[in-house]
Amino acid sequence: MTNELELRGITKRFPGVVANDAVNLTVRTGEIHAIVGENGAGKTTLMSMLYGLFPPDEGEILIRGERVRLTSALDAIEAGLGMVHQAFKLFPTLTVAENVVFRDEPTRRGFIDRGASVARVRELAERYGLAVDPAAVVERLPVGVLQRVEIIKALYRDARVLILDEPTAVLTPQERDMLFDIIRRLRDSGRTIIFITHKLGEVMAVSDRITVLRNGRSVTELVTSETTPAEITRHMVGRDVDLGKRATAHAAGDVILSVRDMVVLGEHGRPVVHAATFDVRAGEIVGIAGVAGNGQSEMIEAITGLRPVERGEVHLGGADVTRAEVATRRSIGLAYIPEDRHGVGTTHHATVSENLLLGHHREPAVTRRGWFQPEAVRQRSGGMVARFGIKTPSVSAPVATLSGGNLQKLVVARELDYAAPLLIAEQPTRGVDIGAIQFIHDHLLSYRDDGGAVLLVSAELSEILALSTRILVMFEGRIVAELDPATTDEPEIGHFMTGAHLDAASA
Amino acid sequence: MSGRRSVGGYVRAVRTSPVTFSLVLAFAVGATIVAVTGQDPFLAYREMFAGAVDGSGLRNTLARSIPIVGMALAVSVAFRAGVINLGGEGQMVVGGLAGTVVAIYTPGPGAVVIPLAMIAGAAAGAAWALLPAYGQTRLRLPILITSLLLNYVGRAITGYLVRFPLADVSVTLATTRQVPETARMPKMPVFGGVSLSIVLVVAVVAGLAIVYSRSVVGYETRMAGYSGRFARYGGVPVERQTIGVMLVAGAIGGAIGTHLIIGESLRFIDGELVLSGLAWTGLLVSLLAANRPVFILLAGLLFSGLQIGGLAMQRNADVSWRLAQVLQALVIIAVASRLTLRRLRRREVEQAEVAEVILEPAHVGEI
Repeated sequence: MTNELELRGITKRFPGVVANDAVNLTVRTGEIHAIVGENGAGKTTLMSMLYGLFPPDEGEILIRGERVRLTSALDAIEAGLGMVHQAFKLFPTLTVAENVVFRDEPTRRGFIDRGASVARVRELAERYGLAVDPAAVVERLPVGVLQRVEIIKALYRDARVLILDEPTAVLTPQERDMLFDIIRRLRDSGRTIIFITHKLGEVMAVSDRITVLRNGRSVTELVTSETTPAEITRHMVGRDVDLGKRATAHAAGDVILSVRDMVVLGEHGRPVVHAATFDVRAGEIVGIAGVAGNGQSEMIEAITGLRPVERGEVHLGGADVTRAEVATRRSIGLAYIPEDRHGVGTTHHATVSENLLLGHHREPAVTRRGWFQPEAVRQRSGGMVARFGIKTPSVSAPVATLSGGNLQKLVVARELDYAAPLLIAEQPTRGVDIGAIQFIHDHLLSYRDDGGAVLLVSAELSEILALSTRILVMFEGRIVAELDPATTDEPEIGHFMTGAHLDAASA
Repeated sequence: MSGRRSVGGYVRAVRTSPVTFSLVLAFAVGATIVAVTGQDPFLAYREMFAGAVDGSGLRNTLARSIPIVGMALAVSVAFRAGVINLGGEGQMVVGGLAGTVVAIYTPGPGAVVIPLAMIAGAAAGAAWALLPAYGQTRLRLPILITSLLLNYVGRAITGYLVRFPLADVSVTLATTRQVPETARMPKMPVFGGVSLSIVLVVAVVAGLAIVYSRSVVGYETRMAGYSGRFARYGGVPVERQTIGVMLVAGAIGGAIGTHLIIGESLRFIDGELVLSGLAWTGLLVSLLAANRPVFILLAGLLFSGLQIGGLAMQRNADVSWRLAQVLQALVIIAVASRLTLRRLRRREVEQAEVAEVILEPAHVGEI
């Protein structure tokens, strides 16, 4: 069998992070090759370079054995690559056929030949079983159909390799099954498919071979028929950070956070959290395990007030905060270390001091009748910088100058300083070095020991196991298991994370 | 919470500021244009400068700076918070007419009627600004679009009112009656008579500067302007804030509109307030000053001087006053391209940043 595509030693650095570190990828002609890895593992960066969006710092790309330099998406299309992005790139007011032929329109005497466009699109659609009406206006079509339009677009340009980036994220189960049929048909016609996902069930269902990425590295290549979801999970999550179990038994105190039958909608108006019910008590760390994208982020946003709760209730310290504003929740007692420390947890335009202030900025310690006490503000920021060892030239330096680990320390410092009854920590150690991980873990544990309730969301199973008092596992928007870290292990958690228990039940 | 800066630091900040660069570049290009047309650029600039500060020039420059600085302040209040209010013109016109009506039809001494008229103008401007604000927070209609379009609605409504219910039938213009003597904004006996409104404008500059640098509200709006997601995460009620800044922006616009009638024209003539594009000059000034009040005062005086000096230059050096407009445009283009270049350079580093178009926050530091 020949190699359709080969990436050798691809490295891409962004300031402060190595997004891809000597990644190798070999895709054979006529196979469905899954690339799996958690958010932040480097999948999207890798595919962007393959699609010519930016060049790798090191390494080479070979297509059918030939070295190529891809400097734009046009080069990639020329080389026979077709990309179906997560967010569709279509003109909503044009028809399917117009979208497909855009920039490559069939012409007759210098005018666009509409009849030919429609006929060509219809022919492609029928050949691969893509049910699409070429004359339909795109904005009236459901997302499942839009995806088929994107696939036809790539086929129209004669793509030999189709790259599908998280293609099932927006699909219903029925649409997903249809997509899988289409993918198989394309493979059987000799095309090569690269399928990027973090959903293991889909990997098992549709792929031939698998490359696993973790922390920017390609850790292994597997043959689907010879592996198991548990093995893939192990490679995805890894064991780099094994800080040992440090959760000690504590008498749990009062219920601080109580979530009842909470339903939350995602971006597409579909429920992504289904009737979640759980409590977090004082003096315990409740760990939420799950493959990224199974509703954890939306659930946390709903608890913190950044996303509306569709149904159900959220109580914080005994008060109903289901519809409360963020500020109300924060003043009742909620601290939150968000997943996205760059976009949500900080703003890079502002100074260290200004970033440390947000959320506390109405407290009497720093303000009097709506006016800041500059000296108090300075002292407070300086104190946090010293106590948490944030490395910065001064509190009035812009945070844009801070490294990733230091930025996370800033966020952790600010949120821990609340001494709020509830702390939500979302991926608190992602992308920070081992020293900072240790530091953050110590702080989370002492927070718990001081009687704080902690809700920890992490993709690192070792972190969940090391810190949690109880573990909840989320799968497809549902809490599918509650486990005791003293008696469970990674394979068991992975079993629930991948939905394997459902297969076992139905088998 | 900016740190203190040394004198040397200020010199460096001025020298490396994109504004300094832009001014030098604009005047250099302007001089080239004048030279190419066969005239003496040095003479032109000398006459322009003299015209802006000599004799009645200074009075005129100050008078013109009142609406320019005022409208720039109105724009900056919203821009700082990330709210793109392009409705300054409508807010000025609607507020201006409301203030004029109060000034004409309310009996009483000036000390009562004049403040009352200003308050009425501010209130009407604020109410007008509330429409696009609610449009955004309740109906998700972008303020950028609605505030801009409401300018035309505001002009049409005031145009109707001064043609029919409020018309002065003794003249052939579409206008209100004249503002009575007692209800006119007094002039102070300095530089040959400068409207008392300038005190108000300076007070607003000082007030905003303090609010921005020291208050919780100033901090919250600035953070929202930097990043709406960050502000929301920290508990800033971003939607209420949008309403608030639109009210303040509209109030300033309405007060400026009122000033232009009861302090300058004395009649609300249909279309006159929008004739000289003051709201748009104000927008450029705010852009140049990166929304910082003290810089707005300086930039407003500069643009005002350019416009007044430009007329003198045409009289005395026979160079078209349009050169003043060209200079204004060049300054803005230079500032904008500098910012864009910076952003492009940064994007090469960050790769994934989404560009905010005109809301680049303060680039030198705080106020």
